[in-house]
Amino acid sequence: MTLPFSIPRIWTLATATVTQLLRMKIMAFLLVFSVIVVAAGFAFPVMNPEQQLKFLKDVSFGALQLFSVVIAVCATALLLPRDLEDRTLYTILSKPVPRFEYLLGKLLGVLILIGAGLLLMDIAFSAVLWLREKLVLAQSVAALKAEGTATAESIAQVEAFVGKQGLTWNLHLGVVAIFFKAAVITALTLMISCFASSTLFTIVISFLITIAGHGQGLIREYFLTGHAGWFKKLLSALLAVVTPDMGVFDIVDNVINGELVTLAALGFMAAIASAYLVGYSVVSHLLFVEKEL
Amino acid sequence: MKRRLQALVVLLILGAAKLPLEETATQHFRTTGLLSAPLSLSLRENLSQMGFAASLGGLRSLVATITYLRAYREWENVNWAKVDGLLQLTTSLQPMYSNYWDEASWHMAYNAASYYENDEKVNAFVREKLAKEHVQRGIAILLEGLRYLPDDVRLWNSLAEIYERRSKEPRQAAVAYLQVYRLTGNNRYARFAAYQYVQTTDPELWKKAYELLRAAYEKKSQRTPSLIENLKTLEERLNIPLMKRIPDPRPKIENATIEVKPGR
Repeated sequence: MTLPFSIPRIWTLATATVTQLLRMKIMAFLLVFSVIVVAAGFAFPVMNPEQQLKFLKDVSFGALQLFSVVIAVCATALLLPRDLEDRTLYTILSKPVPRFEYLLGKLLGVLILIGAGLLLMDIAFSAVLWLREKLVLAQSVAALKAEGTATAESIAQVEAFVGKQGLTWNLHLGVVAIFFKAAVITALTLMISCFASSTLFTIVISFLITIAGHGQGLIREYFLTGHAGWFKKLLSALLAVVTPDMGVFDIVDNVINGELVTLAALGFMAAIASAYLVGYSVVSHLLFVEKEL
Repeated sequence: MKRRLQALVVLLILGAAKLPLEETATQHFRTTGLLSAPLSLSLRENLSQMGFAASLGGLRSLVATITYLRAYREWENVNWAKVDGLLQLTTSLQPMYSNYWDEASWHMAYNAASYYENDEKVNAFVREKLAKEHVQRGIAILLEGLRYLPDDVRLWNSLAEIYERRSKEPRQAAVAYLQVYRLTGNNRYARFAAYQYVQTTDPELWKKAYELLRAAYEKKSQRTPSLIENLKTLEERLNIPLMKRIPDPRPKIENATIEVKPGR
């Protein structure tokens, strides 16, 4: 049995997309992120140890989310217009490359770039958090010793207290949730760019849908349980159907506070992200296949 | 045109099919504590437009940190109303993080209340009134926090301490200490609860205190000076038969008394 598409062709397009984006100096944000993390890691030393570590995690995860969303929208929105502008698109499509393979290659390329970026940022953030945790712990134990209260029990309590806000495997699952969200936004932006008339239009509409998607939980509750009139309900139902629910990926806030990400939760997020990736890719193909180039 | 219609149909089918999945996932995440309750729209009035959008956009934790830091600055400026307002915002954004509740109540019940207690610019009556109001505000913050985190040891302990040291309500302090004891199993909190019961004027609560302290007395490691002192007091108050009383710790020296320090 032969597959209806060529994996090597898609892979070639994906790696070419990664190279194309790297040439746009898009990874410069990694440097900015590192500066933010290091600054957050050593800012506000007057706060209590737990709060210092929480502050570092809040700022780092905030930056991770912001960068992943911005890259997902901007990098994807630039791809098709750039290929049209420098005529790469015609060179590719004049060869026996189906249009959906071209789209899948582009999508995969952006996802690889975001995934690699998040991985690097996660490594940098983990290193700073680990270092900060050790420093805070050493300071707390030294303070106990200076007060003459450094018993085994009190040291264990301080370790547990600081460790609660320190580096755990669970935090990396929070980064996975951020990746899932960025993947959905990437697929959404690619779909919009397939019918958009300009890059600016793609960026603006993608950001608007992303923002609306974060409030989708509220919209859905209003639609399902609200007591509004039929017109308002119809409008909210339409919004709930059209916008993706970004809120289901927003577990990071509570992961920072130590809530454990279960396998079921990870499964839910993976299933929802996959549904959007497949659905939006199909729609992108249907729009792109008819597009006059 | 035909393809565009097909695309629209696929989009609508996807949208309709995903709704139950997203609803189930949201409910699951809320039950397991991975997602907080949706933001109250009343927060919009207190947060800037940018802050509210950021909170909706999955940056609640970051926005909460910023409002917390702003509260910190207002604390340095001794602007208690602003401290209270900003910390209220912080706890609304992150209600599952006990440190914010604890710190908000500490600011009100200790810092703000002490500030007003010592404020020479107002008369004694107003000073006392303002101090009491801020202590009550601290208690209210902790009680609100306990609605979200009913099993949080830190919050129950802080509540007990405020009742004990600031509002001087021993009965409520004892109840809060007993909650800490229930949650941690640490016997010293049972003793603390008993000490608070001793402070009340209710003989029924003295009996409870006596039972708690008598149980603690059975363990040699817990025979602290305070425990013995309180037990002796209760034996007198409850007229415990001499046979059942604990030995007197104070050696009988003529014309001399040894003071037992009120350590815990």
